[in-house]
Amino acid sequence: MNAPFYSFGLFGDQASLVVAFIIGIGFGFFLERAGFGVSPNLAAQFYLRDMRVLKVMFTAIITAMTGLYLLSRIGFVDLSQVYLVPTFLVPQIVGGLLLGIGFVIGGYCPGTSCVSAATGRVDGIVYVAGMFAGVMVYAEAYPHMLGFVHMTSMGQITLARLWDLPYGLLVFAVVLMALGAFVVAEWTEKKFGGMEPDPKGWLSVRPWRVTPVRVLVLGLLAAGFVALAAGSPYRGNHVTIDTKDLALRAGTGADTIQPTDIADWIVQDRNDYTLVDLRAAKDFDAYHIPGAQNLPMTSLSANSLARNQKIVLYSSDSTQAAKALFLLETQGFKSVYLLNGGIQGWHDTVLFPVKSPGMDAAAFEKLALVAKYFGGAPRETSASTSAALAAPMAPTPAPTVAAPVMPAAPAGGIPAAQHKKKREGC
Amino acid sequence: MMPLTELTVSRHNPLVDPSLHIWGWQIAVYLFLGGLVAGLMIIAGVRLIAIRPSQREALVCCTIGPIVGLTGLSLGMFTLFLDLSHKLHVWRLYTTFQITSPMSWGSWILLLVYPALVANGLAHLPEAIPALARRFPVIVTWSDFILAREWLVVAIGLSNMLVGIALGIYTGILLGTFGARPLWNSAILGPLFLLSGLSIAAATLHGILIIHTPDDERPTFADFLLSSLTKLIEAHPLDPKVGPVLAGADNSFLTIEAALLILFLIGNTTSTSVHQQAASLLLGGPYTAIFWVFVIGMGIVIPLILQSLELANRIRHTLAPSIFVILGGLALRFVLVYAGQQSHWLEALNR
Repeated sequence: MNAPFYSFGLFGDQASLVVAFIIGIGFGFFLERAGFGVSPNLAAQFYLRDMRVLKVMFTAIITAMTGLYLLSRIGFVDLSQVYLVPTFLVPQIVGGLLLGIGFVIGGYCPGTSCVSAATGRVDGIVYVAGMFAGVMVYAEAYPHMLGFVHMTSMGQITLARLWDLPYGLLVFAVVLMALGAFVVAEWTEKKFGGMEPDPKGWLSVRPWRVTPVRVLVLGLLAAGFVALAAGSPYRGNHVTIDTKDLALRAGTGADTIQPTDIADWIVQDRNDYTLVDLRAAKDFDAYHIPGAQNLPMTSLSANSLARNQKIVLYSSDSTQAAKALFLLETQGFKSVYLLNGGIQGWHDTVLFPVKSPGMDAAAFEKLALVAKYFGGAPRETSASTSAALAAPMAPTPAPTVAAPVMPAAPAGGIPAAQHKKKREGC
Repeated sequence: MMPLTELTVSRHNPLVDPSLHIWGWQIAVYLFLGGLVAGLMIIAGVRLIAIRPSQREALVCCTIGPIVGLTGLSLGMFTLFLDLSHKLHVWRLYTTFQITSPMSWGSWILLLVYPALVANGLAHLPEAIPALARRFPVIVTWSDFILAREWLVVAIGLSNMLVGIALGIYTGILLGTFGARPLWNSAILGPLFLLSGLSIAAATLHGILIIHTPDDERPTFADFLLSSLTKLIEAHPLDPKVGPVLAGADNSFLTIEAALLILFLIGNTTSTSVHQQAASLLLGGPYTAIFWVFVIGMGIVIPLILQSLELANRIRHTLAPSIFVILGGLALRFVLVYAGQQSHWLEALNR
């Protein structure tokens, strides 16, 4: 059994929400036991009198980080399947400031307010009610502030990827930082809070005495050292490919996606896939499928693609696309697909569809609408246009007939190509 | 920017396809309020009979309960009225009685609820809200008239219990008699909604008691608002001794409700393929998460744990379990009303 369980299909959407509820109850229970359901305890953090928030949070961070790191190194967790919240720098800074203001006014953060409400404190209950009201206002206002929300997109980045550092080094550095923070926290509590250091605390007892907390600290340090030596937790270059599976998928066509499906996804404005154009930049500029990203074979690298999305590859040469698929699979990508027929397939089945003898009128009507939407035109017989790959005509100015598959096509153009794809949080 | 021209090709016009979703939030809210009123009536009736003249201060069940009940019932009737297509024809329900129609039963039961609740509330009203009694001295006359006659007190208490039980069961049977909706078509819904109503009512009264009890951890503005309100109506302090009794009763109601829910699911999953499919809406289908999280988790399990800890004097009595029980009861009605309308006979044929 491999983790993350949800990504590997151990349970579905509904069951995952029930699991989330149980995990949330556990999280809330420990927050409550740490004293986070009482706002004076949280406020004391800002006066440097009682640093328990910092201690608990750093403990949680390093426990989760070293745990995830080690579990992924031994192959239990596939880190590439763990969802990372995409970074939108400016909106997230503004959001962080708003959250901070709310924290100062209300005395809680969202999580601790739930804990406080569950312990029956009236201020917590009022805070939670206010939070839900805020969520509703935001949801209603969201369509009107898309431009701001999607500003300064940086994708799903991690510090290691941003600074090009080894993951292990970062793990080690954060462990050191956390241990340093604990020492500083003890000092500030003594200095500002007037707390006497615990005579049995890990900093106070005789240097060579072994206490449980010291064992924990040493364990964390050891985990940090292991991380330093062990390298990247992503399975990078060490993947093994199941040749049987590869052959099966190639043989049954399970690794190809039909051009008409891609057309539907574009029309539906879906955002769970990345379309990659492998041709040279010159050809890409001449024509490409709306929403595609140009990554010529020579510049294809693992860092430029999100690991938790479907990746659909196409080129003018299907051998080249197949090579790219193999290359990405050796780099640990799980769901890479080929566009059936490449750009020529797109041209023949989506832009200039042909009415085949057995096809009923309604189905062809739909194909024709989709073709017009992308700036192509349906053909009655395959002989009527040249097989040469020509750039299609200018897209129809305004689709006046909206088929059920494309409810809201904006006037004059191809939506997916124009505005940025939505990438929502989980 | 050019205006968007959109032309509907087919089947987007309303009512071209038969709409299978008839009942919306109004019905769910009505069933919730109906259950609450039923529970309040039963508790008020029991309390009215059990009360001794010396403990006249224990009025949260006997006076505040009926007042909340009357308000809730009026709101519930209003949401029911909102749901009616032919609003002006509502009087016709009272020109006939159809013994096989749950709706006919319901409309007559609802008519009995008002006098029963008013009589119960009147019995101890002068002691609970003296200001009101001074303004309208006739209230004291009525109250004295009732309290002077032992048989009348017993009759009012019994009628509250009986009408309350009828109302609570009716809110479930209203759904249970729908043969066309396999998920609803279970007689367990009657006792299930009755017990859920009782738990909501006990939680509501417990919550009112807690709000009313002074608490040093509460923000000052809340205490200020509450004390001004109390001064305004010159209410007597409610009896905090009833609190643990209500919490204990609520725990029993919740336990029985959980057992009935399990029986309800067992009944459906061991029945025909149609009923199995209906139950699968809550066991893996689209209503799974909301059912198990909001109805079972937050509505039953967590309040049970919290109230047990309260009764064991491990934690203070707080508003939290009351709010959880009330929201859980509301969620139960919403899930059953919406999921029920998604269950039907044809889907099993299509499999």
